[in-house]
Amino acid sequence: MTTEQEVITLTNQVFEESFEIEKEKLQPQMNIFEDLGLDSLDVVDLVVALQKKFGVKIRDDERVRSIRTLGDIYQFILSLKTEWKS
Amino acid sequence: MEILKLIYLNTMFYVSFFLFSAVGIPLLSLLVAFLSLFMSHRRTMKRFRRAINWYGTVIIRVLPFPLVRIRYKDFAKDDERGPYVFVCNHQSTSDPFLMACLPYECIQVVNIWPFRIPVLGKFAKWAGYLSVREMPFGEFSRKTVELLGQGVSVITFPEGTRSGDKPIGQFHGSIFRVALQAKCPIAPVCINGNKKIPPRGSLLLRPGTIRVHKLPALQWEEYKDMKPFELKNRVRDIIAREQAVMDVKA
Repeated sequence: MTTEQEVITLTNQVFEESFEIEKEKLQPQMNIFEDLGLDSLDVVDLVVALQKKFGVKIRDDERVRSIRTLGDIYQFILSLKTEWKS
Repeated sequence: MEILKLIYLNTMFYVSFFLFSAVGIPLLSLLVAFLSLFMSHRRTMKRFRRAINWYGTVIIRVLPFPLVRIRYKDFAKDDERGPYVFVCNHQSTSDPFLMACLPYECIQVVNIWPFRIPVLGKFAKWAGYLSVREMPFGEFSRKTVELLGQGVSVITFPEGTRSGDKPIGQFHGSIFRVALQAKCPIAPVCINGNKKIPPRGSLLLRPGTIRVHKLPALQWEEYKDMKPFELKNRVRDIIAREQAVMDVKA
């Protein structure tokens, strides 16, 4: 099973590779819209990249709409992984 | 004494603004309607947008003088060719009017509320302005590419809302995705000096000089390999840097 640290590392990799955001900015409290500068269309790209990275299906999940911070994404991926395993 | 002068000049501006609009808008409309009898739809639209440009020029350059002065500078490279996607910073309500400085056939991408302004909103709609939040991205993209294909430049304020005294805000990426698709040049436009002309939440124009700088355009060949996120931040950085330079010089 993917550990919390692995989820954080892989998620941060997605932000670095897909959006070229510096590592130092990737803190859990960062708002992905106001601090990192993503918009609604970037979120679509983010979802596709996360699906590819973690091998999970996110696209139709309603919980994506409530994501605001990077920490929310870590928790969301972790919960998906847990659900998927059970 | 200074306050009385300010109130007097503002009163003069707003009275002349309404008088000029009451006379100028019907006159220009009649002129375009008359010309449309002899011209194709495309040429009529061109004249119509030019008429809007004339109206805007009087509003920003003539009526507020000497309270407000406008300095426009074009830093385009010699070999640049439009139509452009103009990307501008957004500090004040006066920004859309200042776009009359740009000597091109243009439409603007607006938020919902400008279409609700009496008279001016209607004309904006007729001129083909695009209300980005009232249409799906696919439709926005198709219409923008179509306009660019006709030689019409597209003016955008990708911050989405006025930044006022705050630093330049984050950019929305829609227009950059469209530019990548349309393969057209992106010209950053930096507006400086109008934070208080008028200030947010007020109609009182403060005296000052507004500078509008049209910066060298990024050609499609230069940005074609960038992702939309990278592209929007590149353009944002260019405008923010110019803004800092203009702040120092002001």
